[in-house]
Amino acid sequence: MTLGRCRRLLMFGALLAALTSCVGNAATTGAYSGKAHLSAEAAASALQTAKLAVDSSAKGNLFDSYLEIVLSQAEDDLGSVQQQFDSIQPPNTTEADRIRDRLDTLLTRAASILADIRITARRDQQAAMIKTAAGIPALADKFDTFAEATA
Amino acid sequence: MKIFQVALGILTAIGGFVDIGDLVTNGLVGARYGLSLAWATVLGTVGICLYAEMSGRVAAVTGRGTFDLVRERLGPRAGLANLIASFLVTGLTLAAEIGGVALALELATSVNYLLWVPLVAFFLWLLIWRVKFSYLENGAGLLGLALLAFGFALWKLHPDYGSLVHQVVAPHKPGTERLNSYFYYAIALFGAAMTPYEVFFFSSGGVEEKWTRKDLMVERANVLIGFPLGAMLSLSIAACATLVLKPRGIEVSTLGQIGLPVAFAAGKVAIAFLILGFVAATFGAALETGLSCGYSIAQYFGWQWGKFVKPREASRFHLVVLLSLIGAAGLVLTTIDPVKITEYSVVFSAVALPLTYFPILVISNDPDYMGDKKNGRVMNFGATVFLVIIVVASVAAIPLMIWTRAGQ
Repeated sequence: MTLGRCRRLLMFGALLAALTSCVGNAATTGAYSGKAHLSAEAAASALQTAKLAVDSSAKGNLFDSYLEIVLSQAEDDLGSVQQQFDSIQPPNTTEADRIRDRLDTLLTRAASILADIRITARRDQQAAMIKTAAGIPALADKFDTFAEATA
Repeated sequence: MKIFQVALGILTAIGGFVDIGDLVTNGLVGARYGLSLAWATVLGTVGICLYAEMSGRVAAVTGRGTFDLVRERLGPRAGLANLIASFLVTGLTLAAEIGGVALALELATSVNYLLWVPLVAFFLWLLIWRVKFSYLENGAGLLGLALLAFGFALWKLHPDYGSLVHQVVAPHKPGTERLNSYFYYAIALFGAAMTPYEVFFFSSGGVEEKWTRKDLMVERANVLIGFPLGAMLSLSIAACATLVLKPRGIEVSTLGQIGLPVAFAAGKVAIAFLILGFVAATFGAALETGLSCGYSIAQYFGWQWGKFVKPREASRFHLVVLLSLIGAAGLVLTTIDPVKITEYSVVFSAVALPLTYFPILVISNDPDYMGDKKNGRVMNFGATVFLVIIVVASVAAIPLMIWTRAGQ
């Protein structure tokens, strides 16, 4: 393979990565709403993952190491969702600002719950962990309602 | 003795069928589409059975490796295109497998997966260098049977089997999902089932184990019984995700999520087996992909290859394996998410499939190589139909990847 071909292959790979992974800005309220919808679904997924792990652990079905990693990854996923959503430039409309405020509030509450669960899990405070995780279904429902409204 | 050989071959084929690509893709697709894409796994399994049987038969009859024959039969240029495509995809798959082993060890120990990567790569190299081929193949394959924990969990979930079967036989795209993403994941499942390294490893393994025409029965039993049973294991992963993750709206992005249905339904012993299965399946596949990198390059250039000779007699083969392991471990150490590497590797596998499988079809039809063991009419009909499917999947893979932003 010549140097030129190698270069073309690398450029193609870089272009493909850019095309399949970029976040981008939202030009219209509809596009912004669509991105908010995907973010809400991803956040609800992270919450439900944590709940499933806590429920399994409460039944004595999960090793501490496994629980710790799953909780930590759920928290990372949620952080990534929040960071990506906040990096989107919303269009200059009242509706977009309303969507942003609403989702940001939910994401902040979710991040707080997941952090609390992680802390109690690492301290081996199972009762406190289960109690904190009990708040997940209600919050996940709010994400679902938000996702439906922005679909 | 023959029965023991056949049984061992089938068991290792089942345990060795599932790799990180199957684990991630089936978990991800099951959580999102239920079993409505099971047809893609079934299709891929029929395809891999056809072509693995052909490549194994070629190895048993000619006693030579695939790339050696491809270069001789199709010429150096066509052989080189085949080599480059296969090597790049196999290298990417090797990185995904190393990442998979590290992620599984992270679940067992809480130690960050990046710290496991150099150790995993070192042990892979050490085993490939020092341990007999049959021990590598059989050991990893048998330990991979621990993934049957998924089947046990499925049974413990007491599913409505009629509903699951209905999803398989009457596939229906979920209403909220887009058609382009549905077909993108169909190609990913197809690519995961038909990964190119599987046929190279299978045929080169046949040469390593000195297969002859007398071993064709064992070879066919491995493929025609072991692979479909291995595919059942893949489907049980998707079924567990369908029953536990999908109703909760969980989008799979980590290996830990894929194992949660087993923990939820079957308890600590099952999860211990599952982690063992994760490690064995990905480590075994890493051994196979690492060896396949060496096989492909060494066979194409006509170097001495294989584990049936001492390492010093196949030094260039072992050097390629070592460099491939270093490159793959280096890729994972860049902190690119191994699950993302896996998702891309199965789609790029689909892209490279025609370059891998077309030469096998040509050689297995050539009476100069195969004599009376060349393909029959039925085999040729099936293989040609599959070649058309493979080409369609290959052409559609990258446009769909761009269009759907990798399945988003």
